[in-house]
Amino acid sequence: MKVVIMGCGRVGSTVAARLDAEGHDVTIIDLDTRAFRRLPGSFGGERLRGSGIDDRILVAAGVREADAFIALTQGDNRNLMASQMARHLFNVETVVTRVYDPLRAELFGALGLRTFSPTRISADLAINALLGAN
Amino acid sequence: MYIIIIGAGNVGYGLALELYSHADYEILLVENDRGRAEVLRDELGELCVHGDGTEVSFLESIGASRADILIAVTGDDSHNLIACQVAQHRFGVSRTIARVNNPRNERLFQTLGIESTVSAASAVLAQIEADLPAHSFIPLLQLRASGLEVVDLHVQPRSRAAGVALRDLDLPDDAVISLVVSGDQSRAPDGDTVLQAGDEIIAVIGQESEPAMRELVRSPDEPLREIDEVL
Repeated sequence: MKVVIMGCGRVGSTVAARLDAEGHDVTIIDLDTRAFRRLPGSFGGERLRGSGIDDRILVAAGVREADAFIALTQGDNRNLMASQMARHLFNVETVVTRVYDPLRAELFGALGLRTFSPTRISADLAINALLGAN
Repeated sequence: MYIIIIGAGNVGYGLALELYSHADYEILLVENDRGRAEVLRDELGELCVHGDGTEVSFLESIGASRADILIAVTGDDSHNLIACQVAQHRFGVSRTIARVNNPRNERLFQTLGIESTVSAASAVLAQIEADLPAHSFIPLLQLRASGLEVVDLHVQPRSRAAGVALRDLDLPDDAVISLVVSGDQSRAPDGDTVLQAGDEIIAVIGQESEPAMRELVRSPDEPLREIDEVL
């Protein structure tokens, strides 16, 4: 599967490394080339410097041929905009978007993106851990 | 009428002052930068609030669901897009207007249902194009709902349209020539109308027919315009 990942932070680099190790064709985009240091030496995918909300960068990353796009930057709105470009301009089949704000995650989930909110997931885990300890 | 403006940079600030002078408008200017918002609060009072205009809970707190218009004019296209989408889909705001900083994003905004976009760069480009006498093709108006546009064409010497009757011209199916202007004479054309070099044509065409129409009126010497190479 060809996957384009936007954002090479802790989560992005981990997802990229794992998909690459599993044999997928991975391209990862970040504004800052220093972010690529988070990738393991064994990473065999492509690294591309640029903004994921620039359609030319998305095309250079191979979004037209991609089966999946994952947006994992720190910016909810950047993630949502790039994801909608991938989905609606380039017809990428599977688009996954990280959105910290749970309400925005819910709204754009209803509008056709696969969103998840780390805020909500962390809160659920914290509560489960707390109650589970009793 | 309740109008929410997201982004209190020069554009948002100027817009707020302009609209504020109309007695019928209730204006709220939203700024995400706390320092900037405080400075403006000293000047404008409760007209300006600090907050994230793309956040559902904040928009709720400022009564977005009773807003008639939301205008997003930050310097960041992603904020403008999401603010308009949240306003439309979560709060049912019927009219949203977005500033598009990068004209390449206009198509995305339209695709996602943001009908009104304002792009300073596009406006300036259109002005420049309109001033170039040799330019053979000037888009005048986009009719977004129907995918049609109104364009102004100048028939160039030795172009494929010059000296040809309309019925013999290989027009795209969705192109309608509405008006032909020769010198100071204008007329509604019929199939017998022969186009001459120098004529100006107002036509309604499908957006996909742009390249074909450009090609018909273009001088063989005029370089092909670089049309968006990616999209």
